[in-house]
Amino acid sequence: MIFHSLDFLVFFALVVSVYWRLPHRAQNALLLAASYFFYGYVHPWFLILIGSSTLIDYASARGMEQWPARRRLFMAASIASNFGMLGFFKYFNFFVDNLAAALAAGGIHASLPVLRVLLPVGISFYTFQAMSYTIDVFRGELRARRSLLDVAVFISFFPHLVAGPIQRASYLLPQVEAKRRFSLKAAASGFYLMVWGFFKKLVIADNVGVIANKVFALSDPSFEILWAGVFAFAIQIYADFSAYTDIARGSSRWLGFELTENFDHPYMARTPADFWRRWNISLSTWFRDYVYIPLGGSRGSDARWAGNVLVTFLLSGLWHGASWNYVLWGLYHGVLLVLTRGRLSRRSAATGKPQPTHALLQPPAPHGRARVILQAAGMFALSLFGWLLFRETQLSAIARDLRLSPWHSSALDRRVGLYLLLLAFGYSVPLWVQSIWIEWRRRGAPLRTWPSWSAAGVRAIACGAAFAGILVLRSRTSLDFIYFQF
Amino acid sequence: MRDVSFLLSLAGLLLLPFGFRLANRVHPAPGMQPSYLPAIEGPRERAPFDAGPISDLARMNPGFVVIGDSMAGSRIDPAVLARLTARPVAPLLYAGSGPAWWYLVLENWVIPSGIHPRCVFIFFRDTNLTNVLFRIDARWAMDPVAHAREDDLNAVVARRRGSVFYRVRTALENVYRAPQARRWIEPAVNAWPAELMIPYHKPRAAFMQQLNDRFDLAHLRPMEAADMQATEDREADFDAFVDRSALPLMLRDARQAGLTLCFVRVQRRPVGGRTPFQSPALQRYVAKLKAYIEHNGAIFIDDTGDPAQTLDWYADGDHLSHDGRERYTELFASRLRQRLP
Repeated sequence: MIFHSLDFLVFFALVVSVYWRLPHRAQNALLLAASYFFYGYVHPWFLILIGSSTLIDYASARGMEQWPARRRLFMAASIASNFGMLGFFKYFNFFVDNLAAALAAGGIHASLPVLRVLLPVGISFYTFQAMSYTIDVFRGELRARRSLLDVAVFISFFPHLVAGPIQRASYLLPQVEAKRRFSLKAAASGFYLMVWGFFKKLVIADNVGVIANKVFALSDPSFEILWAGVFAFAIQIYADFSAYTDIARGSSRWLGFELTENFDHPYMARTPADFWRRWNISLSTWFRDYVYIPLGGSRGSDARWAGNVLVTFLLSGLWHGASWNYVLWGLYHGVLLVLTRGRLSRRSAATGKPQPTHALLQPPAPHGRARVILQAAGMFALSLFGWLLFRETQLSAIARDLRLSPWHSSALDRRVGLYLLLLAFGYSVPLWVQSIWIEWRRRGAPLRTWPSWSAAGVRAIACGAAFAGILVLRSRTSLDFIYFQF
Repeated sequence: MRDVSFLLSLAGLLLLPFGFRLANRVHPAPGMQPSYLPAIEGPRERAPFDAGPISDLARMNPGFVVIGDSMAGSRIDPAVLARLTARPVAPLLYAGSGPAWWYLVLENWVIPSGIHPRCVFIFFRDTNLTNVLFRIDARWAMDPVAHAREDDLNAVVARRRGSVFYRVRTALENVYRAPQARRWIEPAVNAWPAELMIPYHKPRAAFMQQLNDRFDLAHLRPMEAADMQATEDREADFDAFVDRSALPLMLRDARQAGLTLCFVRVQRRPVGGRTPFQSPALQRYVAKLKAYIEHNGAIFIDDTGDPAQTLDWYADGDHLSHDGRERYTELFASRLRQRLP
C-alpha cells in the first residue's frame, strides 16, 4: 500500500478510529494485523519473509539470553538469516551478472541462473531494523523481549516499514511496550507533518522527478541539460524521501509513537560530515554504530581510520542497490569525508591546537554568514556530483556524462538547460525557503515572538495552501517513492 | 488554544481552496467539456473527434487492419505485409496506446467505415487486454478516437476502478473547481522560466516547440530497462478483470459487425537467450484468455516461446529492430494461411 492513495487514507482512518478504543495489548495486536495487511496488500507472499525474519530474530535474541555461552551461535544465525534473505533477493543477480562477466573475460561463456522475482519492498529497511534488535541484545545493551507480539510490532510497524526511518530497538521497543495516550498536540503536529509530506511528494518530488526522468532518458544530453537534470534529481530525492519520513512520522504520532527524524535540511550542510549528519540520519547512524565503530572507528592510525570510513561508505552505497553506481556513490562520499578529515588534521598540526575527537559525523564549527553560504553552496555542488553517480545506473553513461563540456553545447541546449533548471528551482522554492528559514533561526537570528493566534493563522494558511497546491499542481505522473526500490 | 489552532488549520485546509472559485472568474476557462470518461475525470478541454480515418478506411478497403501500440509498429511492416499477402494493410497504430484506445479505434473508426477486412489484428503484451487502465491517461491519443459519450467504456472503467477513490477525488475537485483552476495555473507555473528567458510570444512558442523536439523519441536512450517492466502477477487474474475490461466490448462489437478479430500476444524480450519468464499465474491467465477469445469466435496467436524469434531480432526492450521487423512480418505473413480460417 502506498501513502499517497485513498486506500491508505481509508485504512489509516479505520486503524486510528479503532485503535484508541482498545486496551494496550489489543492495540499492539491491531498494529501487527494492520502492518501485515499494509505490507502484504499487493504481494501477500512478502509476509512470509517478514514473518520468518521476525521469528528468527525473536528466537535468536531469546536464545542469547537463555544460553549466554552460545550467544555467538544465535547471533550468527540471526545474521545469516537476515543477510541471507537480503542477499538472495537483492544481490543474487548482481553477483551472478558480475560472475558471468568475469568468466566471459576469461573466455568462459557460462549460462548462469537468474533470479526472476520481485525485490520485496522495504526488505533493506526492516532487515536492518531487525538486526539492530539482535545486535543490541548480543552486546548486552538490550534485554531480549518475551513478547513475540511486541517484537513483531517493532519490526513491522507500518508507518515506516517500507522506507524508514530505521528505528533502533532501544528507541522503538519501549514505545511498543508502554501504554500510549492520545495527545491532541501530537496528533496536530502529525497532521501538519503529513500535509507537508503529501505536498512535498505530490507537488515537488513528482514534478521535478519528471524533469529528471526526461533528462536521464536522453541519449545525447548536453552539459547544461545534464546538470539541470542532476539538480532536479537532487531536489526529487530529497523531497521524495523526506516526504515519506514526514508522513511516517506524522501518522505515527496519531498512533502515539514518536519516530526519529531522518533529515535535517541536508542541502544546508557545509561539509561532507555535516551532510551525513543531516541526510538519511537513521541509516548513517546505523552504519556508524554497527559497522564503523566495530571496525575501529577513529581509533588507530589515520590510514586505518580512512579505511574504516571507506568500507562503511562502500557498504552504505551497496545497501542502496545492487549496482556499481551505488558503490561508486558510497565511495565518493567516503573519499570526501577522508579528504575533509585530512584537511582538519593538517590544520591541527599547523596550529598545534587539537581538533575535536574525530567522530564520523562531526558538526562544523560556526563561521560568518558569507563563509557559511559559500560552504553550503560548495557542499551542495559536491552532493550534486554524488547524485549523478547515484542516478546513472550504467557506468558507461557516467563516463559519457563526465566527458560533457559546456564548450560543445548548442545555443538551444544552453537555453533548454536553463529552462529546466529554473523550472526545477521554481518547484523547489518551498523546500529552500523552509531550509533557509530553519538555518537562519538556528544561527540565532532575532525573532519577533508571534502571538499564538498569529502562529495558528499562519499554520492554517500554510495547510490550505498546501492542499490547494496538491489539488492543482500535483504531477500528472505519479511516481513511486524512490526509496521503495531499496 | 491548541484545540482551536488545530481546528483552524483544518478549516484553512478545507476552506482556502475555495479561493479557486473566485480566481476562476478572473481566469475563465472556456472549452471545458464533460469527459467521455466521467468515472475518472471531471470536465476538461479535449481535442475533437477525428472522423478522417473512417473515410480513409472505406476508400482503402484493406484486407488486413493492424491495431496496437509500438509492439505492433515494431513488428508489422504494412508495406511488406501488403506485398506478401497481396492485400492492402491498414495500420492503426499509436505508440504508447492501450486497450481503451484499441477498443475506441475498432468501435469508432473501423466499424463505422463499413469495411470487411479478412482480419483485424490487435497486438498486445501479457495482461494488457484485461487492464483497461493501462495507458488510459494518454488522453491526447484517446480524444481523436472518442465521441462525446463513451458509456460502455466508461462503465468498464468505473467497474475497474472500484471507483470510490475517483468519485471522492472528482467530487472534491469539483467542489473547489480545481480542474478549471489547474487549467490556467499549471501552464503558468510551467511557463514562467520561458517567459523570463524569452519575453516575446512568438520566439517563446518556437522555443517551447524546440524544447519538446529535444526530448522526442530520436533523442532517447534505448529503453531496455524502462520498457521491460515485468507483468505483475496481481494483473494476471483473468476472472477478476475480464468483465472490467474492454475485451468483451471488442469481441461483442466485432461479432455484431461481422469482423474477424485476431489477438496477437507478442513475445517479450528473451532473457539470457531464453523465453522470458512465465510465472504460473501468468500461464494460467494466458490459458484462460485464449479459451475466452476462442470461445467468442476470435483468433488467438501467442508468439511467446516461438523459437524463431530470437534475441537478435530485438532492439530495445520488447521492441524489434528494423531487421527484426522485416523478419517478423515475413514470418507472420507465411503463417497467416494456417492461422486464419
